[in-house]
Amino acid sequence: MSDENELIQELVDVVGPQNVLTDPTALSVYECDGATLFKALPDMVVFPENAQQISTIVKLANKYQTPFIARGGGTGLSGGMLPVRGGMLIALNRLDRILEIDLKNQRAVVEPGVVNLLLTHAVQDDGYFYAPDPSSQKACTIGGNIAENSGGPHTLKYGVTTDHILGLEVVLPNGEIVVFGGAIEETPGYDLRGVMIGSEGTFGIVTKATVRLLRSPQTYQTTLSIFETMDDASNAVSSIIAAGIIPAALEMMDQLVIKALEDGFHYGFPLDAEAILIVELDGIEAGMQDQAQRIIDILNKHNAREVRYAKDDADRENLWKARKSAFGAFGRLAPSYITQDGVVPRTQLPKVLRQVAAISRKYDIPIANVFHAGDGNIHPIVLFDERDPDQCERVELVNEEILTACAEAGGTITGEHGIGIEKMDYMPLIFSPDDLKVMASVRDVFNPTGLCNPGKIFPTPESYIKLGLAG
Amino acid sequence: MTMPNLHLLHEELIQIVGKNGLLPNDWYNDYRVDGFTPRAVVLPASVQQIRELLTCAADRKLSVIPAGSGTKLGIGNLPQKVDLVLSTRRLDNMVEYEPADLTVTVQAGMRLENLQAQLAENGQYLPLDPTYASLATVGGIAATNASGPLRMRHGTPRNQVLGMRVVQSDGAVVKSGGKVVKNVSGYDLNKLYIGSFGTLGIITELTFKLFPLAESRITMLLRFQRYEDAVKAASDITTSQLLPSYLNLIINGVPDTTLAESSLVVGLDAHPKAAAWQRNQVQWIAKQRGAIGVEIIQEPQAAKLVEAMRAFAQANPSGQVIVCKANLRMSDIGEYLGVAFAVTNALSWSVRVMGLMGTGQVYFVFSEFFDMIEPKMIASTLAQLRKHAASVGGNLILEAAPVDVKRQIDVWGTVGSGSEIMRKIKAQFDPNMLLNPGRFADGI
Ligand SMILES: Cc1cc2nc3c(=O)[nH]c(=O)nc-3n(C[C@H](O)[C@H](O)[C@H](O)COP(=O)(O)OP(=O)(O)OC[C@H]3O[C@@H](n4cnc5c(N)ncnc54)[C@H](O)[C@@H]3O)c2cc1C
Repeated sequence: MSDENELIQELVDVVGPQNVLTDPTALSVYECDGATLFKALPDMVVFPENAQQISTIVKLANKYQTPFIARGGGTGLSGGMLPVRGGMLIALNRLDRILEIDLKNQRAVVEPGVVNLLLTHAVQDDGYFYAPDPSSQKACTIGGNIAENSGGPHTLKYGVTTDHILGLEVVLPNGEIVVFGGAIEETPGYDLRGVMIGSEGTFGIVTKATVRLLRSPQTYQTTLSIFETMDDASNAVSSIIAAGIIPAALEMMDQLVIKALEDGFHYGFPLDAEAILIVELDGIEAGMQDQAQRIIDILNKHNAREVRYAKDDADRENLWKARKSAFGAFGRLAPSYITQDGVVPRTQLPKVLRQVAAISRKYDIPIANVFHAGDGNIHPIVLFDERDPDQCERVELVNEEILTACAEAGGTITGEHGIGIEKMDYMPLIFSPDDLKVMASVRDVFNPTGLCNPGKIFPTPESYIKLGLAG
Repeated sequence: MTMPNLHLLHEELIQIVGKNGLLPNDWYNDYRVDGFTPRAVVLPASVQQIRELLTCAADRKLSVIPAGSGTKLGIGNLPQKVDLVLSTRRLDNMVEYEPADLTVTVQAGMRLENLQAQLAENGQYLPLDPTYASLATVGGIAATNASGPLRMRHGTPRNQVLGMRVVQSDGAVVKSGGKVVKNVSGYDLNKLYIGSFGTLGIITELTFKLFPLAESRITMLLRFQRYEDAVKAASDITTSQLLPSYLNLIINGVPDTTLAESSLVVGLDAHPKAAAWQRNQVQWIAKQRGAIGVEIIQEPQAAKLVEAMRAFAQANPSGQVIVCKANLRMSDIGEYLGVAFAVTNALSWSVRVMGLMGTGQVYFVFSEFFDMIEPKMIASTLAQLRKHAASVGGNLILEAAPVDVKRQIDVWGTVGSGSEIMRKIKAQFDPNMLLNPGRFADGI
């Protein structure tokens, strides 16, 4: 029997034959995540149901020197779960139980395969919610959110995933099961919980998490406003922040997105408008009207052409629907797209958005923008046809120039989607070789053999050549 | 080290940091660590000087104790050796501040108070309120993950630091994170340095996320006959839709205030109408729980009370005080207090308590004539308190204790199954055990 067959046999002994996939057609479902341009076929997919099994599987992977990679919902946008060096995907879909809900202490204990939105569903009738809300929350998992340190529209006020995780149970890359953090706010020693979050699946596999729950706000005030120019909308964002108001969400969409939305869903947005801004306040009802009025005044001062105002929950849902259906609409604009994820200081937004527009014109590649404006987290959607090699070449250059613009504006190359394989070549734009050396030394502590999700995050010698930084 | 050698060392250090960079001997008491007087206290004026100091220390096998103003040097196990205290307090510049970005980058030695004053001019602040309000530097605050009552609303440095610059033990200057409010490029090494108590590197620069100052603030004081009722009222508040900035249970008073019995202090920072609505709710809860007094504290008394609460867990310089911090689930606090009082009453120790009811930290401050009590006996009492905390999934950290007590008990307690990873990280970052050896958790 070949090594691979032996490994498969041993895996079957652990999880049963129905929970090991090796058939090539079945495997092809697992060849990519949400960044569909990148593809790599795993040699096998295993579906364990608990930490103990994962520990055994990881030990087997070590025994057979096979790379292993955790997979949650497969919605990642940086190729994080791609088995670029082959090997085994450990799919966590069966670890999908909410183990404990402790409302008195505002926390829950969940398995990593729990879908983000289902956690909020489980507690919302009691008046609680789980704050990090990636736009993919119907499909992405808490484990994936932890690996990517995901954000979402409401992270402006509530922070990102790391701000909402208290403790983790982890199967380390050697198969050992350990606990970082706990049910309480502080534990002695280094904050391994904190370093684990955002490590993109390269430090081990999260098998359990203690998460914070928050009380649902008493009320919301949501507006959707339409602007003639992008600059007006960006300046409105700056003015709101400068006025000392931190909304729960401040989301922006540009003309190309408006067009896609109109083609697909007919919201009645004017096609000549350059930008739509959604501003949401939440919190205590008393005084909320006053604050909403201040926001509306600011929007008007920056020449909002129209301000739509949610009168009730149904209205609010409607206003958000446009934002949430944006990604579904891009398919109408082009056969393929890449979602960029740079972050810039808020004051640099107008300038960087102009640069993005110029890059789009320079390479004749359309770029749509739908993004978390309040955080300065832009999502240029680069639209093209992957079957056209010439376009693909230009898209490479577009990506590089956009990320360079973000870095030069004092920002960073990813705010919530992770580096994965998609942006590893660009890490030298923001980190020096010494910075990266320290990161690698931490990875080597957790993952000394490199078998746990190899080939991610770190630039290669070719990356430096590509960026013209070699030698 | 003999006197002539010490003299030579000082000469060598002056070569690096200049005359102004070496603190005169008579100031060394400010930087004593658990009774150890350092051989030298250096105040580098640049990152380059820090690198040279680390090289010098490595060559001479001297331990380096990173410090800011030295306010938290008492936290930790007994040091193995205290050679060079390296204070970043001269690195105190504002590097970059663009109010509209709601972020600020400062050098590590800037005092929080100075920073707050500059931010306040723009209607902003950094919502951190650790002990030693006027002295503590932002670098020291991050290194110790220090926070105060405001953590209920705003968390700790782990939630507020966006980026750092750190000199590694080998002299390399590296950055982690960045200057923007959202960032997942590479590993989140900020989290490693924050709360590492100087064992992984010297923090020289930090970028923080800022917040607008509240439009209005109401400070409420609820007095109760029995602390049990105060705990229940606190729980009513934390499970309600109220959003206090802090919610402190005080038992046996705060020095320099008139607080005596069991009290709850509630801070409401919000839009004036929202603050007023919350005030009414708190009044209602207080009544339900049988409060014997409900007061709205006006300025300037309110500010004084807040200052006093911040200073609550400050160790007094005489070293004759024991401060412990229990980390518990909120719902376990009431019962835990009962157990803790049973233990300490049996010894007729008097204890002051401040509980952060929204986040689960309970500070116990014992100020007895501890030189009169067997250190072993003190240690075993503290060990009992720790055991009770552990039995409900919590822990207990000793933030200040006389040296004789520290000889008997590990101030941190056990670190659990992360131990091996922690030690390996320390070995990667500081292979020669130069930085603060032996003081951190797990013998690191
Ligand atoms: C339409 C759309 C909208 C999106 N919107 C947002 C948004 O608003 N904000 C945002 O932050 N992201 C967004 N994303 C990106 C993506 O949804 C997130 O990165 C999400 O957290 C990935 O979760 P997942 O369960 O799908 O993980 P996967 O894609 O399965 O995996 C992602 C990474 O996590 C690792 N991983 C998964 N589970 C574990 C585990 N248990 N232990 C260790 N590692 C693990 C994998 O190895 C991989 O490296 C969006 C994606 C799409 C397609």
